[in-house]
Amino acid sequence: MRAARSLAGLLVTAMFIALAATPSHALQIKRVTLNNGAILLVSEQHQLPMVTMSIAFDAGSRRDPAGKAGFASLTARCLTLGAGKLSADQFNQQVDFMGSSLSVDASEDFAEASFTSLKKYEPETLALLADVLQHPALHDDDILRKRAEVIAAIKAAEQQPGYVAGVAFRKQMFDDTPYGHDADGTTDSVSKLTPADVRDFYREYYKMGSAVIAVVGDVDTDQIKAALEKELAGPAGKVTPETEQTPPKVPPGVHLTIIDRNVAQANLIMGFPGMARSNPDYYRFQVMNYVLGGGGFASRLMAVVRSRAGLAYSISSQNEAGKFPGSIRIALQTKNRSANEAMKLILQQVNEIRDHPVSDAELASAKKFLIGSFPLKIDRQSAIAGYMLDIELYGLGLDYIDKYPGYINAVTTQQVQEVARKYLHPDAMIVVAVANQAEAAINAKALQEEAKHN
Amino acid sequence: MQTLGNGLTVLVLENHKAPVATFNIFYKVGSRNEQFGRTGLSHLLEHMMFRGTKKLKPEEFSNIIQENGGMDNAFTTADFTDYFEVINRDHLDVPISLEADRMANFDPKGFDSEKAVVMEERRMRTEDNPADALAEIAQAQAFLAHPYHWPVIGWMHDIEGLTLNDVLAYHSVYYSPQNAVIVAVGDFDADKVLKQIGEDFGSIKNGPKPLPVTEIEPPQEGARQVMLRHAADVPAFAEAFHVPNFKDHNDAFALEVASEILSDGKSSRLYKSLVIDKRLAVDAEASYDMTSFDPGLFWVSAELRPGVKTSDALAEIDRQLQALRDTPVSADELRKAKNLEQADFVFSQDSIFREAMLLGLYQMLGDYRMVDQYLPSIEKVTAADIQRVARQYLVENNRTLGILIPTGVLPKGAGGGHPGGAVQHVALDEGALR
Repeated sequence: MRAARSLAGLLVTAMFIALAATPSHALQIKRVTLNNGAILLVSEQHQLPMVTMSIAFDAGSRRDPAGKAGFASLTARCLTLGAGKLSADQFNQQVDFMGSSLSVDASEDFAEASFTSLKKYEPETLALLADVLQHPALHDDDILRKRAEVIAAIKAAEQQPGYVAGVAFRKQMFDDTPYGHDADGTTDSVSKLTPADVRDFYREYYKMGSAVIAVVGDVDTDQIKAALEKELAGPAGKVTPETEQTPPKVPPGVHLTIIDRNVAQANLIMGFPGMARSNPDYYRFQVMNYVLGGGGFASRLMAVVRSRAGLAYSISSQNEAGKFPGSIRIALQTKNRSANEAMKLILQQVNEIRDHPVSDAELASAKKFLIGSFPLKIDRQSAIAGYMLDIELYGLGLDYIDKYPGYINAVTTQQVQEVARKYLHPDAMIVVAVANQAEAAINAKALQEEAKHN
Repeated sequence: MQTLGNGLTVLVLENHKAPVATFNIFYKVGSRNEQFGRTGLSHLLEHMMFRGTKKLKPEEFSNIIQENGGMDNAFTTADFTDYFEVINRDHLDVPISLEADRMANFDPKGFDSEKAVVMEERRMRTEDNPADALAEIAQAQAFLAHPYHWPVIGWMHDIEGLTLNDVLAYHSVYYSPQNAVIVAVGDFDADKVLKQIGEDFGSIKNGPKPLPVTEIEPPQEGARQVMLRHAADVPAFAEAFHVPNFKDHNDAFALEVASEILSDGKSSRLYKSLVIDKRLAVDAEASYDMTSFDPGLFWVSAELRPGVKTSDALAEIDRQLQALRDTPVSADELRKAKNLEQADFVFSQDSIFREAMLLGLYQMLGDYRMVDQYLPSIEKVTAADIQRVARQYLVENNRTLGILIPTGVLPKGAGGGHPGGAVQHVALDEGALR
């Protein structure tokens, strides 16, 4: 029923909208500055009749004032509770009627307002998003209702051991600095937020002059630029960027927090202070981390703790590198009585990668994956939009896709060991365990001994 | 589509959207094919498929895929098992030959440690997850005779008792060309991919023919209820109604649209009433999957707000289902539900993996071309259809109700007070302990 394609003796279902035979795969990104100062990035993708737009504001949870954890996140969630002439109910009704999805969410560094819609509903969905950002209703009763909902959701999340461990880890690592709390805040902190707070936060941080807009899909760059200039001129102004944030510091010793819970598995996080995304160590660490615990079944932690010892279903090490220095975490779940053994195996691997260079084969394997899998990170609209925001917000450059192989290929065995020694410190480590301590008997002394082992 | 001489079905679809490709092999075996006392075998076999062949060491499979810029994984359902790779288009030949190797030359190592991994997986997914634990027990109560009775991952004691011989025997029956469907989608030349699949899989011989699943669940004649006491702080419940699958075409599509009306989007009935207006729940959901091989369940569930009585939320769900039975949905509401279906369908094509999943699933159900009929069939559903299926299936006598009774997340004897549990903070300075 639609344009013919190479069929090669197989039937192609007609429901799949025909794909234009575009041989060029280089991701084409256009970058323009709008009249209001916002940066617009567009990647035209005409194969499917759909559009994804994502707008980043400097309104993440690191902007939460002391004692008001959850401020940014509550504000983001309240913005879609009615806008322009529409009540919250009418607004939801319109979004759903078009089959669009539209949301505003805050993470640590940024708040993101985004939608995905069919091409035919792109103008109407954009108009709704423009109303959300320029004329949010922010009525007292809606805000109070949302506040109660967020508090209930946090209480529900507190039943999940992984969530509890993550919140405790953040607190231990970053304390009262901007990254020290979950973006949603705590039941206690959220219950103190007022409707006036929410309106203030919106007025202070949602400014188009500091916004970055990513558009992917079946659009024309000139048309979408004109539409944005017209529909989304405000809120005018810029947010004063923060230039510094106190980096986390862990004093010597093993800092262990045990949260005693009625669970079958101990949820464990072991971690160290990390780096900002802009730190040149980032790529060296990425290669090291692939070998240690970031590389799935190719990683040492997976091989030792899961495949060989059968102690965990999932285990990984992650580098959380944002606008400002973040953290490095090794996380796993294991039955309570295996907790000490698993942590001992992990510390052995951490010491191993500090003490000995990785093999040439491991280095080559890590580089092949990191470079070769790049296309997988940008194979759909939402991923491409996220990628475009990242290159702008973290200053990676429009040619990042071309430069990335060079960054990775340049990493040497020696640099891998250097970043392991620089960032992984078993003798200055934060450990959080959500476990049934009667069974787990997590042994701080043994951990300390193992940590000092090198 | 092509069927090889040994009965292996192959579907290949070019999609030049991005320089990537996906390879999927579906085996028509899941927990539905298992026996009492041997539950979890399909899923354990899926794990063992990564533990080596006559040519490859354990985990070498994934290492090779990753070195070629790809990612791989697998999952097991009650009906089937899917192995998939998503990879840089230049290396699609790699997963094709590796999947053929583990179909033909399965020779896994490290059975005991992998079994322990699966038991950890069960602890994580079910034991420490109240919603999953509740769904498991409610499903077991809804299905008494049919193998949908037991969970895909298996009962803990069953998993513990499985042997390597069980796994090998299962592989020889179910992991044969005649029991598999291959789907490849991506930025490639379909001719070349078909040719390689033919070369790598064409000579693999079939094992014994799998026995058909013959169990039929007897009709439910009256409401059932099951309680689960579980470590949790917040009450929850799940209702399950026996419903037909895709084979009962008209009812299946009407039930699908009914589930959209109940819970897709913030303006949906359950979300609006339970979460927004009456503030009873943190989340409320209706779900239905018409693609189960045998007739399955229509689920309605809610995670309650702290302090809300389970009976109040249940009464509200009752009112919502009653409204669906008593009053035809308006033209606008029906249009909205269909629009949501249409948009989701287009959005799903943005991922080659989802595209491949859909084709493979419908091919296993009989014919991948049924995918073409999906939106037209949705379009045909009327308000009267929805009312009819609501009256026939979403009724008390056909309901199994699971209720979670929270017993608290703090261990016995632990000091309460702190919302996150009893916290000890032991900061050790160097040399503080000897």
